[in-house]
Amino acid sequence: MKKLINSLLVAATICMATSCSKKDNYAGPDATFSGNLINSVTGKNLLTETGGFQIQLDELSWSSTPVPYNIPAKPDGSFKDTRIFSGHYRVIPRNGAFWPVDTTEIDISGNTTKDFTVTPYMEIKNFTWKLTGTTLQMTFNLFAPKTEGLPRVLDVQPFINNTQFVGSGATIYDVYTGPNILGINANYSDDMAKTTYTITVPNLLSGRTFYARVGVRVDDSNKKFNYSEIVKVDVP
Amino acid sequence: MKAKYLVLILVGLAFGACNKLDVAPLNIIKDQDIFTNETGVNSYLASIYGTMPIEDFIYRPERGFMNGDGERWQNFMQPGNLTGEMVGRYNVGDAAQGFGFWPYDKIRTINYMIVNFPKYAKAFTPDKYNQFLGEAYFCRAYFYFALVKRYGGVPIVRSLQSYPEQSIEDLSVPRNKEQEVYDFIASDLDSAISLMGDANIRARANKYVAAGYKSRAMLYAGTIAKYGATNYVDGDARQKGLAGIPADQATRYFQAAYDAAKLVEGHYSLYRKSDNKEQNYVDLFLDQSSPENMYVKDYSMSTGTAHSWDATMTCRYMTADGDAACYPTLDLVEKFTGPLPITNPDGTPKRFNDRSELKQGLEPRLLASIYFPGATLRGKEFDVQRGIYKKFNGTAAEELANNNTSSWDQPDNLVVSGDINQLYNGRRVMGLAGMYATAGNDNRTRTGLYVRKYINYKADQSTCGLYQSVQTWIDMRYAEVLLNRAEAAMELGTADKTADALNVINQLRDRAGAALATGNITIDTVRTERMKELAFEHHHWWDLRRWRIADKVLDNTRFYGIYPYWIENENKYIMLKQEEMGHRSFFFEKKWYYEPLPGGELGKNPNLYPNNPGY
Repeated sequence: MKKLINSLLVAATICMATSCSKKDNYAGPDATFSGNLINSVTGKNLLTETGGFQIQLDELSWSSTPVPYNIPAKPDGSFKDTRIFSGHYRVIPRNGAFWPVDTTEIDISGNTTKDFTVTPYMEIKNFTWKLTGTTLQMTFNLFAPKTEGLPRVLDVQPFINNTQFVGSGATIYDVYTGPNILGINANYSDDMAKTTYTITVPNLLSGRTFYARVGVRVDDSNKKFNYSEIVKVDVP
Repeated sequence: MKAKYLVLILVGLAFGACNKLDVAPLNIIKDQDIFTNETGVNSYLASIYGTMPIEDFIYRPERGFMNGDGERWQNFMQPGNLTGEMVGRYNVGDAAQGFGFWPYDKIRTINYMIVNFPKYAKAFTPDKYNQFLGEAYFCRAYFYFALVKRYGGVPIVRSLQSYPEQSIEDLSVPRNKEQEVYDFIASDLDSAISLMGDANIRARANKYVAAGYKSRAMLYAGTIAKYGATNYVDGDARQKGLAGIPADQATRYFQAAYDAAKLVEGHYSLYRKSDNKEQNYVDLFLDQSSPENMYVKDYSMSTGTAHSWDATMTCRYMTADGDAACYPTLDLVEKFTGPLPITNPDGTPKRFNDRSELKQGLEPRLLASIYFPGATLRGKEFDVQRGIYKKFNGTAAEELANNNTSSWDQPDNLVVSGDINQLYNGRRVMGLAGMYATAGNDNRTRTGLYVRKYINYKADQSTCGLYQSVQTWIDMRYAEVLLNRAEAAMELGTADKTADALNVINQLRDRAGAALATGNITIDTVRTERMKELAFEHHHWWDLRRWRIADKVLDNTRFYGIYPYWIENENKYIMLKQEEMGHRSFFFEKKWYYEPLPGGELGKNPNLYPNNPGY
């Protein structure tokens, strides 16, 4: 009897060990999708911040209503994801401070790159800065590449951080940004284009190095910022 | 001999066989058992009422209706935290995208009654029958309103769906337009109004309750049509009318809201039992017999449904266990009072002999809604104090710019502590009711204030533990109907309507003990009145959304508290207006004006696409 049970156990073990050996025969997420968001006015990468826009991917290989997948922006206006399934995708840059663009469909496999050209809502032009003691003064002009249908301009905010990653999501808000916001709250006009704006940020801590920029936003769906270049400020 | 018996038995069996077994099974309850008698219908309706999506004490905006859930004691996880009327554990984004609410199983239960109950109409008097059927319509409207205010357009299912009799394609119902859903709600509520009687049955609907909810739903639709037309996120769902209502519909909805609210007039009234306005407003939320209560939800310890409001709104100094974790903001207080008189004309903080001097002369409704420093509960004072200044020689503004570190030649001038028992020269550094030096601990206030609304002050401290509070949740009270009426009237804007709005606002202000409004009131007057009257009652979150101002009000916004300090060398108190200790930044993304459809449902039913804009 014992022998029988033992041999049954052995048989069961062998069965279980050898069953279900089906291998997943689909390819893993081994494709890379990368590219840049090009500012149609300057021809350079859009000035943005980490997460300042998203590239939305809808994989159409299996379903016409897939769950969207988003690649967040890098601070230099590029994007890259090295773990994408090869397939046929509908892609669109979205949720950023630029005029909506149309979707495109592409096949992604291996190492696919794609640059998108977008028109920003606003540009910060003639950006200059000077430091007097511990007070940082930034002057600039506002320029809208396309004025028709432009949502109302909300405000310009200074962003100050102690690393070169600086933007609305990385700033010393309570001390430097919040108290110094320049409210505008008006539709873009010729007057606005001619005005030279100044934002003053007082009381920077001495002996520190800060990175600073300003950003302007309009009252669109996303309320993201169009930025100036980042400048390095050594406070004596 | 044996064979003879065998034959007899066989014959017997042959005659006894083939008796058809058609006795109704006794363990299955059938329609005719339920829908033919009052007890049956009442119990069927109870099963519906029991699952109504009521945003009560235990509702959590990111978790849902928490019926029977183990974490339903956390009553401080409430939507007031998302709006800045309170601050607590939420950032706006933690809860703005909902919890995948999709109650079509409950809607089917209601549809089952609406389809099958009419077959048994003869078993009842017409009045009874109509009342019951009207309640079913009311409940269905209630569910659809809970859906539409979150998602915009959702599939309208009126019939009884069956699987596997119907194919998956048949059952994959597409979304209806947002406008169609609001019209459907209006028509269900109209059915309820015309069918039901006016008897007031506790925790159930009648004709006027349905009218009250109609005023709420139509007001939502009107404001979404009007304000959603200019502030929106574009996308397929908006283009197809699934998220958004055409602006030209606004007036029609406002008129419907006004008419529905007007219908309630004379059938419910504002609570005015006591001449002491503050005490009257406190008791309004505790008196079971209030003529203001329209639709309520009750709780009891014996059924395991008790909540924890007392234990989670004030600190343990006043309760048996639990923690407070959400606190009213000074910003809300200032809606009532303007800037509080805590600073002298020269900028120095005003000196108080006693903390309770701050409360003097404030609106009774405000004092009945919020516990200020110096108030008492169960014989204990809210001795709120953040620390001790050895001396204070400057202005409030300078000291705050200095981050509470001015010394005025006095080393370690400000004494603060994280330890409740720490003394400085024989005096407690922090009060027993707060505040800590910095955030990090819950239980004691981060704004200097505590919620008073709904607190059962009569309960003994030992009975103020978790799952021991049984105060009734008032889901609709007449004051809200009046506010709906005033808001709809102001939106309609004709002279007689504006006059009516003024009259209604003054009814509320008179009851509240507030100064009456005179002359020209604006839509902002009505909105502020609504915020004040309905504070902490879970309305403001939806109001900010439907007015489409949430992205402006909550735009990296910080909220403030009032911090009492003791000044040692003067033996006086001062109060400073400081940012609440959690330093939360409130930010609302525009796409949150609609919640995303639940991913699981989109997977099951591709006809639900397109999802709401931005998701």
